[in-house]
Amino acid sequence: MTAGTIPTTEPKGGHQSTGELPQKIGQLSPSWIVFFVAMLAVTAVGFYAYLLQVNNGLIVTGLRGLGTMAGATWGLYVAYYVYFIGVSFAGITVAALIRIFRIEKLEPVARIGELLTVVSLILGALAIMADLEHPWRAIVNLFKYGRPQSPFFGTFTMVIAGYLFASLVYLYVTSRRDAALLAERDSRFKRLYRFLAAGYTDTRAQRRLDRRVTFWLAITILPLLVIAHSTVGFVFGLQAGRPGWFGALQAPGFVVLAGVSGIGNLIMLAAIVRSATRTKGRITIDAFSWLGKLLLGLLITYLYFTAVEILTITYQPGASELTLSEALLSGTYAWIFWGAIASLVIAAVLLIWQALTRRWSIGLVVATGVLVNIGAVAKRYLIVVPSQTHGQLLPYSTGTYTPNWVEWAIVFGLFALGALMIGVFMKIFPIVPLEETDTP
Amino acid sequence: MRRYVTTIMIVAGLGLMILSYTAMATPQCNTSVACSNPKVSFAAGVFILGIVIAFSSAVFYSVYKGTK
Repeated sequence: MTAGTIPTTEPKGGHQSTGELPQKIGQLSPSWIVFFVAMLAVTAVGFYAYLLQVNNGLIVTGLRGLGTMAGATWGLYVAYYVYFIGVSFAGITVAALIRIFRIEKLEPVARIGELLTVVSLILGALAIMADLEHPWRAIVNLFKYGRPQSPFFGTFTMVIAGYLFASLVYLYVTSRRDAALLAERDSRFKRLYRFLAAGYTDTRAQRRLDRRVTFWLAITILPLLVIAHSTVGFVFGLQAGRPGWFGALQAPGFVVLAGVSGIGNLIMLAAIVRSATRTKGRITIDAFSWLGKLLLGLLITYLYFTAVEILTITYQPGASELTLSEALLSGTYAWIFWGAIASLVIAAVLLIWQALTRRWSIGLVVATGVLVNIGAVAKRYLIVVPSQTHGQLLPYSTGTYTPNWVEWAIVFGLFALGALMIGVFMKIFPIVPLEETDTP
Repeated sequence: MRRYVTTIMIVAGLGLMILSYTAMATPQCNTSVACSNPKVSFAAGVFILGIVIAFSSAVFYSVYKGTK
C-alpha cells in the first residue's frame, strides 16, 4: 500500500514549495529565534528563583503559616496549579466533540488542544512541586503513602498520572498518520518521523482502526476528565474547617471553570498558530465560532454558579463567612473579585452578541479568550487565598498574603517553559493535522 | 491477536486499579489513626501502573501489525 501525500500548497493560507516541510517546520525565522531566546531567558530566571527557594526554603517567598504567622500557606503556586489543570480541559473536550458528535469543523484545532492539554498538565505538576519545600520527598511519598480517602490521591493518580498519560496516548495515536506522511520526505527529522510512524501505512483499514481507537479513547478519557477536575475541586470543597471552601458546588464549579479557561486558551493558541504557520485556510472562522459557542455555554453556567455562590455566602452567613464575604465583595480582595466578574461578564456579552447576530469575528472571539483567562486566573486566586487569610475559625487575627518576586518568577518561568514546549513542537511536527488529500 | 492482547491489557490495567484502590489502600477505613497509611505501600503507584497498562492498550491496538 502507498502512503498518502503531503499537500504541496496550503489552501488559501499561503504557499509551500516542494521539498519544504509544511507549516514552517524546521524553519528558524528571526522572530522565532527571538521568541525562543526570550522564553528561555524567562525560564532560566524562574529556575534560578526555584533554586533559591530549594536552598533557603519557602521563607524566600511571600508564603507564611496560617494563624500565628497571619499568612497563607497556599498562594500563587496552588492558584496556578488549579489554573494549569483547568487549561488541560481543552484538548480532550475538543477531541471528544470531534469523535463523538462529529463536529469536523473543529478538526484543525484538535491537535492544538491535545498539545495544550499535555503541556498544561506538565505545568500543573511542576506548579504543585514548586509549592513543596521538599519536592523529592513528595515524589516518593505520594507513590508510597497515597490513599484514596484523600482527594490528593485522586489529584495525583487521576489528574497528573492518568489524565496526562491518556492524553499523551491520544496525541500519539492521532499523530502517526502525519508522521508517516512526513517520513516520506527528506528532512533532518526523517528518522524521528519514521520512529513515530511505527510502520504506519495510510490505508482505509488503518484509518478505520484509528477512528475506532480515538473514538474509544475519547469515550474513556471524558469521564476521567470530569473525575479529574472534580477531584481538584474536592481538595477545597471537602475542607469543612475553611470558610468559602466547603460546599457541593466546588467540584462542578471547578469542572466548568476549567472548561472556560481551557477553551479560552485554545482560542488564543489557535489564533497564534494560524498566523504563525500559514494555516489561515485551515483554521477558519467556523472553528472559532464553534469554540465561541462552547465557551459561551460554559461561561453562562459558571456565571450562574458564581451568582448562587455569592447569594449563599451573603444570605445568612456565620461570623467566618461574613468576614470572608466582606473581604471579597468590599474589602481587600474586592478589586480582584469585581475585576474577575467584569472580565467574565464582558466576555459573555461579546459572545452573546456574536451568537445573536450570527456574525462571528476571530478578533472578538480571541478577545473573549483573553478576558475569560484573566477572569479565571483571578477566580483561582480568590478560591485559594482569601479563605486562609480571612474568617479564621480559631481566634487568630486577619492575615495577609502578597506574592513576592520569587513566586512570580517561578510562575512566569512555567508559562515560558510551556510556550517553549509548544514553540519547539511547532518546529518539529505539524500542529495542525495534515489534510486528507488522498483516498487510498 | 490484536484484540486478544488489547483485551488482556485493559483487563489487567483495570484489575490493578481496582486491586490497589479496594484492597491495598483501605478506602473503607477512615476513622482510625491506624488507617492513615495504606495497607500496602505503593498502592498509589500500583494504581498508576494500572492506568498506564490500560491506556497503553490503545497504542498496541493501533500499532500492532499482525502476523504474516
